[in-house]
Amino acid sequence: MTEKQTEAPFSRSSKKTYSLVELVHRAPSQLVDHGPDNTVFAFPLVALIELLLTIGIILALLLMSLGVNAPLEEIANPNQTTDPAKAPWYFMGLQEMLEHGHPTLMAVAMPTLMVLFVIAIPYLDQSREGAGRWFTSKRGKRISLFTALYALLIMPAYILFDNFVPLREILRGVVPDFVAQVLIPGAIMAVIVAAPLLVLWRSKPTPREVVLAAFTMLFVSAVVFTLTGFLFRGPGFELYWPWDMPGGYNPFQNL
Amino acid sequence: MSRLVEYITRSRVWRSFFRHGWPDNPLDRSLVMTTNIFFHLHPVKVNRNSLKATYSLGLGVISVIAFLELSITGLLLMFNYVPTVERAYGYIVTLQTQVPFGQLLRNMHRWGAHLMVIVVVLHMARVFYTGAYKPPREFNWVVGVVLLILTLGASFTGYLLPWDQLAFWAITVGTSVAAYEPLMGSTIKAFLLGGPEVGQEALTRFYALHIMLIPAAMALLISLHLWRVRKDGGLAANELKEEGEA
Repeated sequence: MTEKQTEAPFSRSSKKTYSLVELVHRAPSQLVDHGPDNTVFAFPLVALIELLLTIGIILALLLMSLGVNAPLEEIANPNQTTDPAKAPWYFMGLQEMLEHGHPTLMAVAMPTLMVLFVIAIPYLDQSREGAGRWFTSKRGKRISLFTALYALLIMPAYILFDNFVPLREILRGVVPDFVAQVLIPGAIMAVIVAAPLLVLWRSKPTPREVVLAAFTMLFVSAVVFTLTGFLFRGPGFELYWPWDMPGGYNPFQNL
Repeated sequence: MSRLVEYITRSRVWRSFFRHGWPDNPLDRSLVMTTNIFFHLHPVKVNRNSLKATYSLGLGVISVIAFLELSITGLLLMFNYVPTVERAYGYIVTLQTQVPFGQLLRNMHRWGAHLMVIVVVLHMARVFYTGAYKPPREFNWVVGVVLLILTLGASFTGYLLPWDQLAFWAITVGTSVAAYEPLMGSTIKAFLLGGPEVGQEALTRFYALHIMLIPAAMALLISLHLWRVRKDGGLAANELKEEGEA
């Protein structure tokens, strides 16, 4: 106890007839256990940083806008479909998902689960430990890195496999549609996503480490699916190299 | 000269505008924050940890900058646009070819919108990986997720407005996904489009959502988001007890 007191920033000295007392009604308060503060006046430093950031961003946008024009095609014509017909780039992940299973599973159930998981993160991991530190710990960093690498490998592999060995087409008529379109793709996805969590489970992870792995898995997968749909899908929504699209189709013309 | 400056800065008119002296001392540097609504977003003194560029990467601030930039360019675009199937496309062509700086204005709105989507997503990833959603900031994380969804909604509704082939088919594809929702799918799609397919009703609705409803909701939620950041003690990095820990 005495050791702790000498370490504390506001230590009680026997020579003093007074002491600093803090009453914390609802712990934890920001100031408990904090010694001399590590602060600077917000003015003018923070104001200056924000001003410079604003100027920088506007300048970058201005230069981009001077160089590259926003796309404008012919007037909308409901009778003439474009090929490929793509959603805006940030929804291309969803459109790519549609290629790999029943729409209700791929474009409704899975995205809904993802959003619900993301909203629930602070309620799944309630510890305060490591708040304000990237990846919380070295172990957290390793977990995120390995999960990201795993997702970067398995998701493109899955997309390619499903594209060239379309199980759903092979099984059409062999098993009920519900099994081929929903159960099997759903089960494959579930195994892929759950695998890093199962590996992690054996080393008794903290809740923070579990959400680190789960979020990384979902985030990297979402990026992979979005990029695949945006960059690698050409006419007929077939897979091509972005620089080798038939008919001169350029995904960047549709931004 | 100095007497003139003194006369002006002591006048009642000047002091009704500025309630602080020149901010070169601690008192006036405090007053410049507490008596100004813009600076009032920040506390008088900020923790050095939260100013580290490698911590926040400035992504939250950049999101706000992008939102303001889009509000201003969007407002200017409204002067040159009518949301009808017959005239919308013509207005965009006129804007690009005849209105001074019209093409530049549209470019800045377009690229600013893409930038905002990217930055908001990265901001979410930053907050997650730094554990900045942890108590007491749980609810602000939820507000942030809603803001992300609204950002996508703002971008998506704006995508239709030029009424070209790109816009029409992107929205047709995008809204057809909604129809796969098993219980309410067709209702949601009908609510968005106001009809069986993308037409005048959809354009009217997307316009109202894009210029009014979504930005207004975002402005309110951004205010709440920033207010809560302050109430919860600024950035989570402030909680690191020693400097070397970060």
